[in-house]
Amino acid sequence: MLSYLSPARRGSGLGTALPALLLLLAFFVIPVAALLSRSVTEPELGLHNYKTLLGSATYLQIFLNTFMVSAVVTLVTVLIAFPVSWALAIMPPRLSSTIFAIILLSMWTNLLARTYAWMVLLQQTGLVNRILMSIGVTERPLQLTNNLVGVTIGMVYIMLPFMILPLYGVIRKIEPAVLQAAALCGASKTQALCRILLPLAAPGIASGALMVFVMSLGYFVTPALLGGTSNMMVAELIVQQVQSLVNWGMGGAAAFVLLVITLAIYALQLRLFEREAR
Amino acid sequence: MLLDFDKLGAWKWILSAICALMALFLLLPILFIVALSFGDSRWLIFPPPNWTLKWYHELFADPRWLAAAWTSARIALIVMVLSVALGLLASLALTRGTFKGRAVLRAFFLTPMVLPVVIIAVALYAAFLRLGLNGTLVGFVIAHLIVALPFSIITISGALETFDPSIEDAAILCGASPWEARFRVTLPAISHGLFSAAIFSFLISWDEVVLAIFMASPTLQTLPVKVWATLRQDLTPVIAAASTLLVGLTVILMIVAALIRKGKSR
Repeated sequence: MLSYLSPARRGSGLGTALPALLLLLAFFVIPVAALLSRSVTEPELGLHNYKTLLGSATYLQIFLNTFMVSAVVTLVTVLIAFPVSWALAIMPPRLSSTIFAIILLSMWTNLLARTYAWMVLLQQTGLVNRILMSIGVTERPLQLTNNLVGVTIGMVYIMLPFMILPLYGVIRKIEPAVLQAAALCGASKTQALCRILLPLAAPGIASGALMVFVMSLGYFVTPALLGGTSNMMVAELIVQQVQSLVNWGMGGAAAFVLLVITLAIYALQLRLFEREAR
Repeated sequence: MLLDFDKLGAWKWILSAICALMALFLLLPILFIVALSFGDSRWLIFPPPNWTLKWYHELFADPRWLAAAWTSARIALIVMVLSVALGLLASLALTRGTFKGRAVLRAFFLTPMVLPVVIIAVALYAAFLRLGLNGTLVGFVIAHLIVALPFSIITISGALETFDPSIEDAAILCGASPWEARFRVTLPAISHGLFSAAIFSFLISWDEVVLAIFMASPTLQTLPVKVWATLRQDLTPVIAAASTLLVGLTVILMIVAALIRKGKSR
């Protein structure tokens, strides 16, 4: 009877994974590999697409834009998300569940709807400019859309939940007794924050920051709508090369560079987590 | 001390204030669109001089919006069913299988989630141009299934891991066949995971923009593609009306998801 239940009787169990596996092979692995291979085969065999990509000031500027926006977005989300997740972890549940509901609502609201809201809010005659003018921050409306400022604001809005949720999980797991011990040993609040709470939350901050950074690097919709055509980011470059210029070689090369950076950052994150787990 | 809300002293108020500001920052733009959709200013003046439903009339008068919504719904429903079915099968293999390399397979299944979606979109676009799948329902479904499946697998394997397989063995000992045990014992026990996976998959497909832009043709487009195309021309309040309806749908689905979670904890 037991042999009937044993794994050997049931087979290795790989079989049921086959439909998903075949789907991903046919419509994910092969197409992505084909796209990347076109970067070295089109228009002719060689690395000239990469030479063009890394040798021209225009393209380098696009990579620089992408890194700058992603870095600023990551920094701002960390600065907002740390106090927020800290508060959420210790608030009375009734308060925190209201704030969680708002976070989830914003996260699940259609991406285009959220971006549309910021396009309207940030335009020259928009509410943000009118408020800034009425409180005397500026006399003339500021240019907040069609540039990287708009992209950064829109992306912070979209990325905040992705930073708050993991960071909340980490802070939630910190043992309050550790901080009580610090207080008993005479640590001030600032000392306890800098030397105990922040270091204990650091893995959460690092993994959240890496995730937000890497998601920002490949983001397309918000930069395309709030950034305008003169301040492109990498994802827009890929789309432009493929859709408008029908230059699959350059599109593939830009995709390859983005892919390598993305995977490198994920590998870094895995290493960080493994060290943490040890 | 720092993790006791009542003993924080002045810091308590600083943290609460940051929290409240952040909540407003996340909430106000959404309320702003809702208000805008009922305002009668074509130039999106806020607060609007008067209230009106004309943008909703305009929205429903244009058959292309309704057609796009219907396309989106059909695609999302098909993706939902396939994503749960394939996700369940894959999760069974990942949690119950004894083959080597399960961790690698799991990581492989999750890669579409971590890669920039624009790369997947461009790659599939090229493949579908060759296969003639561009602008077809099948093309949309495949594209959305690729990105929905990882979420389905995470949710369903999570549910399966909390379910003790020896209960299934007990059913088999009582005379059930292995598949009967799976269908009548395991599936009901992980139904909350299946429901969450279904809602996730539906929402991912329903809201997906980037893949859809590449899959769309002038005759077949989803709602996000229609919004995208309209947004590129001007910021008409009709989009606010469409967005408001989408926000309404999100709220309904969130309430459903919360009720499911409540039912599970009971």
